[in-house]
Amino acid sequence: MPLLDIKNLTLEIDTAGGRVKALDKVNLTIDESEIRALVGESGSGKSLIVKSIVGAINDSWTLTADRLNWKGSDLLAMSKEQRRKITKDDIAVIFQNPVSSLDPTASLGEQLEENIPDHLVGKGWFWQRQEKRKQIVSRQLHKVGIKNHELCLSSFPHQISDDVCQKFMIAMALVSEPKLLIADEPTMGMETTIKSQILKLLSRLNQNRNLSILFVSHDLLAISSMCHSMTVLYCGQTVESGRMTNLRKRPLHPYTKALLDSAPSFSKDLLPKSNLSALDGTIPTLQHLPIGCRLGPRCPRAQKECVKIPAPRHIHNHYYSCHFPLHRPLK
Amino acid sequence: MTALLTVKNLKFKRKVRKNWWQKAEKFVIGPINFELNAGETLAIIGDNGSGKSTLANLLAGVVTPSSGQLLLNGQKLRHRNLKQRSLNIRMIFQHSKESLNPALTVGTILDEPLKLNTNLDARERKEKISTTLRQVGLLREHAHFYRHMLSDGQRQRVVLARALILNPQVIVADEPFAALDPSVRSQMVNLLMRLQRELGLSYIFISHNLGIVRHISDRVLVLQNGKVIESGKTDVVFNWPKSDYMKKLLTAHQSLVLSKLLD
Repeated sequence: MPLLDIKNLTLEIDTAGGRVKALDKVNLTIDESEIRALVGESGSGKSLIVKSIVGAINDSWTLTADRLNWKGSDLLAMSKEQRRKITKDDIAVIFQNPVSSLDPTASLGEQLEENIPDHLVGKGWFWQRQEKRKQIVSRQLHKVGIKNHELCLSSFPHQISDDVCQKFMIAMALVSEPKLLIADEPTMGMETTIKSQILKLLSRLNQNRNLSILFVSHDLLAISSMCHSMTVLYCGQTVESGRMTNLRKRPLHPYTKALLDSAPSFSKDLLPKSNLSALDGTIPTLQHLPIGCRLGPRCPRAQKECVKIPAPRHIHNHYYSCHFPLHRPLK
Repeated sequence: MTALLTVKNLKFKRKVRKNWWQKAEKFVIGPINFELNAGETLAIIGDNGSGKSTLANLLAGVVTPSSGQLLLNGQKLRHRNLKQRSLNIRMIFQHSKESLNPALTVGTILDEPLKLNTNLDARERKEKISTTLRQVGLLREHAHFYRHMLSDGQRQRVVLARALILNPQVIVADEPFAALDPSVRSQMVNLLMRLQRELGLSYIFISHNLGIVRHISDRVLVLQNGKVIESGKTDVVFNWPKSDYMKKLLTAHQSLVLSKLLD
């Protein structure tokens, strides 16, 4: 049984120009002890998926789904308290922009201690519990690679540098020992050495503690180095999902291919200063979404049928939704 | 033949003192020496806080150097002479959104450098703006747009147009692709390289992304704590790195590319 199972998740937002489908029938499953990547460009609704999983959505948004199951129990049907308990105990999120998502009025130490669940602290007198908390906090910080933990704990978010702040967010997410970690762009703007440290930390946690990770990013280099499977999102539609190796070797959707081609480190035979292959145009805004397959106007293989939404098809575990996929004979 | 831009013993010192009884922290960059030929791309890589952005600001004339000199075609660049500098060296900033004025149209933003630095009349300026906009792949009508009406990629193109409009010889770009999405990023890389081929521009390019640095640069300068620890041709530095820092950086990059994170 998959840990998290999402089927046909649709999120509608009311705007001045009418109701817009920001997410259109998104499918996503995360198995136990799996690292799944969620890839898409900005504005493709990655963060909206994260928000709908943890239930942090706005009142004016309408969320419908055929399935939004956590270990077989429906998250949408259960009461608020039950759902909150699951999100508190089992799911942890590393948010984008660490500096702005931390509380600016509390020191980092206070914020981290607040996140330690009671069962980890154990029973005892208050000074013993305090002692234990301190221990857990400093151990956690060492684990994510913050050496000077005293200085870090006594400072406020604006006083420390961005990459330390990012590591601190990871420590904060991991301190409650969750089953699923949702990492929303955890390595954005980091240097390569620190980035590979963080990725190593995450994949070690995945192997040792059976932590499942949903890795939300558009950094394909990071994704291909650690993830087992990948879901590609474009403008709120899932275009392709499957095992990482299959997707990298033989992408079926033109958009996946364009994404993979846009990272020059992947292709060895590329001459320096030669042209990179790129799709024309930019991502449409929410107010001007094309009908049918939303890649349509930018797609090099688009034809008449593309104004209809393609039904998801699959070869074994490799799902794709495209009328004219690459590497497949035309009907 | 003299190089286009020669940097000799460029140094920058700053003392930061929070309280006046505290000992001042020193922040030193340099001495930095390099030469840049016409049509070449020089990439600068280094840690956060290694002085990459300060070096870019020194070259663009935002910050005054403490000592050393900049020579452009053998001619000395004086710090006070901003007109001479901005006609030859232009800069692209990291955040394209924040570097555009929200209250002005794109046309007005592009008009300003022309008014300040050239003797063109209104009609010629308008002509120049529309040709520059077309050069970077936008339409003439985009001159009437405001910042918020443009997408990320288009904003980056406007910033590039602002840099190009005075026909400079060197463009200093401080992380121009960091905030862009992959598919838009490839478009921008292609555009920059096309402009280099057509106009013979030289770029000084600051980036974290080693893949792109390797792809577009001719030479690399590696900074650590304000000192140049390694410099040379791109393929030499990437294949036979000398300094420990560069070796570490490349192993980290290679391990990501080859997916050998944990074996």
